[in-house]
Amino acid sequence: MTAKKTYHGRAPAAFALIVAGVAFLSTPAAAQRSGAEPFKIGVILALTGAGAGLGIPERSGALLAEKIINSKGGVNGTPIQLVIEDDGSNPDGAISKANSLIHREKVSALIGSSQTASTVAIGGLTDPLKMPQVALSGLGPAIERDRKCVLHVAPSQALNAKAILEYASSIGAKKLGALYDSGYGTVVYNELRKLSDAYGIAFVATEKFEISATDTTTQAAKIRAAQPDAIVVVGVTGVPIRSLRQLQMKQTIIAANGLASYETVKSMGDAADNVVFPEFLVGEDPLPHQAEFVKLFHKEYGRFPKILEAVGWDAVHVILAAFKKADVGANNEKVCEAIRSTFKGDMTDYDFSADDLNGIKLSNIVYSKLVAGQFTRLPFQAKEK
Amino acid sequence: MNVGLLAQSLLAGITNGLTYALIGIGLAAIFKGSRVPNAMQGEFSVVGAIVVVLLLTGHGWPYWLAILCGGLSGAILGAFIEVAFIRYMIRNAAPEDSYLLLTIGIGLSISAAVLYFFGRESHLLPGFGSDNLYIILDAVVREHVIWLIAISILLTIGLRQFYRTTSVGLKMMAASIDPVGAASIGIDVTLMRTFTFMLGGALGAAAGILITPIIPVDYMIGLQLTLKGFAAAILGGLTNPLGAAIGGLVLGIIEAMAIVGVSSSYKDVITFSLLILIMIAMPQGLLGRAGRTGG
Repeated sequence: MTAKKTYHGRAPAAFALIVAGVAFLSTPAAAQRSGAEPFKIGVILALTGAGAGLGIPERSGALLAEKIINSKGGVNGTPIQLVIEDDGSNPDGAISKANSLIHREKVSALIGSSQTASTVAIGGLTDPLKMPQVALSGLGPAIERDRKCVLHVAPSQALNAKAILEYASSIGAKKLGALYDSGYGTVVYNELRKLSDAYGIAFVATEKFEISATDTTTQAAKIRAAQPDAIVVVGVTGVPIRSLRQLQMKQTIIAANGLASYETVKSMGDAADNVVFPEFLVGEDPLPHQAEFVKLFHKEYGRFPKILEAVGWDAVHVILAAFKKADVGANNEKVCEAIRSTFKGDMTDYDFSADDLNGIKLSNIVYSKLVAGQFTRLPFQAKEK
Repeated sequence: MNVGLLAQSLLAGITNGLTYALIGIGLAAIFKGSRVPNAMQGEFSVVGAIVVVLLLTGHGWPYWLAILCGGLSGAILGAFIEVAFIRYMIRNAAPEDSYLLLTIGIGLSISAAVLYFFGRESHLLPGFGSDNLYIILDAVVREHVIWLIAISILLTIGLRQFYRTTSVGLKMMAASIDPVGAASIGIDVTLMRTFTFMLGGALGAAAGILITPIIPVDYMIGLQLTLKGFAAAILGGLTNPLGAAIGGLVLGIIEAMAIVGVSSSYKDVITFSLLILIMIAMPQGLLGRAGRTGG
C-alpha cells in the first residue's frame, strides 16, 4: 500500500519534469538565446465579468501572435513576452493592472483594454508617459483624440453605423426597425440616427434592451407591429435575434459586428439564418491577405477566428512594427511617432494617423450572411462616398 | 395599440413572469425551511440545465432521463451546500446576513467553474413536445411555452400540497417554524433542513431545464435569474412559494406592459417604481401576513 502511494506521489513530478523538458526543447531558439531579456508587452483584457466575451477571444489572437512571432525570431532577434492581466471588466481594475505592468513589470508598451471605459482609464496613465498603447476597443470619448500614443484597432461606431446603412440601402429598405442594447448598442444607434437621413432611411420602431436581458420578445413584438422593411440589431448576445425570429419575422436582420461570433450564433439556435453582418473576417472564406492568419489560427485552436481574435493578433503586430521601425530601445516619443502611420493588418488595413485614430475605410468592410448557422461571405461591397 | 401586440406582450410577460416565479419558488422554499436567503438560486438552474445539455447532446441520453438527472443534480448540489457549509454555520450561530455572503460566494464560484469547464458559450435545449407554433389573437406561441406554463402551475400547486399534506412536508415546516419544539417531538431538524435544500435545489434545476429551450443558459445567467427570483419572492412573501409564483407573474407582466405602454428604455424604472409602491402599501407581500407565515 505504501509502495503504491509512493509511486502515485512521484508520477506527477516525473510527468511535470518530462513536460518541462519537452517545453524547453520546443521553445523557439530566439527565446533561449543567451538569456536575453525578452521584449515585454503588457496586455490588459476583460477576461472575467461582463466583457469576458470580448477579452477571451482577444487573448487567443494575441497569444497566437506571440507564439508565431517568437518562432520567427522575435523582434530584431529578441523574443517577445506578453504579460497578460485581467481587468475584470472594470476600469479601476484596469488602472491597477496597468500601474503594475508599467512600473513593476517594466513593459515597453501596452495592449488593451477590451472595453472603452477601461481603455480610457489606462490612457490616463500611458498618455503622460507617451507609452504606446493599442486599444482593442473603438474610439471612445473626445479626450481620446488628444492621446496621440493610444491607437484603436477596432472600428469606430460611426463606421459600424455607415456599414449597416449601406447594406440596408442596397436592399432597398426605407423603413427600419432597430433593437439595440443599453451599452455599445446605444452608441451605434445614436450614430445610425445621425446618418439615416443621408441614406433616405427612416426608423419606424426603435427598442432598447438591457445588455444582460434574457428575453426581448415584447420589444420584438413592437417592432413587428411597425412592419419595417429590415431590422437592425446591435448588441452582444443572440437574444434579440431569437426573439425576432420566434415571432416569425422574415425580414432581413442586419446585425452589428459585435454579434459576429460563433458563440453568439450558437446562442441563436435555429434563429441563426438570414442575418447579415458588416464585419471584417469570414474564416470560412477569408480574403487573400487573411488566409495565412486564418490557417494558423485554425491549426492552433481548431476553429475559425472572427474580429475579436483578429484584433488581438493585429494589436501585437502593430506594436512590433512600430518598435522595428523606431528600433527596439528607442524612447517612447520616437515609437509613438513611428506607430502613427499606415499598417497592413490581417484583419484590415489601418491608418493610425487618421482623424479617427485608425483610418479603417468603409471599403475594408466585408459582409457576411448566416445561412443555416454558417457565415457566408456576400459579394456586396460598400463604397466610400 | 393593436390586439396582436397586446396579446404578444402579455404572453411574453407571463412567460418571463413564470421564469422569475420558478426561481422565486425555490428561493422561498429554502427560506421557508431554513431562513437562509439563498443568493445562488439561479446557479441551481445553471447546473441543472448544463447537466441536461451534457447528457443529451454530449452523451446522447434520452431527453426524459437527462431531465431527471438534471433535476437530481440540483437536489444533490443543494444537499452538498447544506451539509458542507450551512450546517456548520448554524452550529456556530452565524447571523442571517452571513448566509447571504456565503451563498453569493458559492454562486460566484459555481459561475467561475461553469466558465472554466464549459466555456463562455450559451447552450439551448430542445423544446418540450413538438416545435409547433400556435397563433392566439395574432400572437405567436411556441408549444414549449404552453408546457412551461402548465408545468410551472403544476409545480406550484404540487409544492403547496407537499407542505400541507405529506408527512415530510409537515415535518419540514415544523422544523423551520420551531426547531426546538420539532426536535422535542422526534423530528430530525438537521435532516429536514437538508431536505429543504434538496427541494430548493431540485426546483432551481427544474426552472433552469424549463427555461433553457427559450433562454440560452451560460455561466453568467445565474445571478440575473437570482435577482429576478428575489424580486418575485419578496413581492409575494419570502416564506411562501405560492406568493413567489404570483410575485413572479406580476413582475413579468408589469415589465411587459411598461415596454408596450411607455418605452423599453424606462422598463426597469417603471417596474421597480411600481414594486416599491406595492411594498410600501403591502409590506408583507402580495398575499399579506397569512401569505408570509403560511404556505
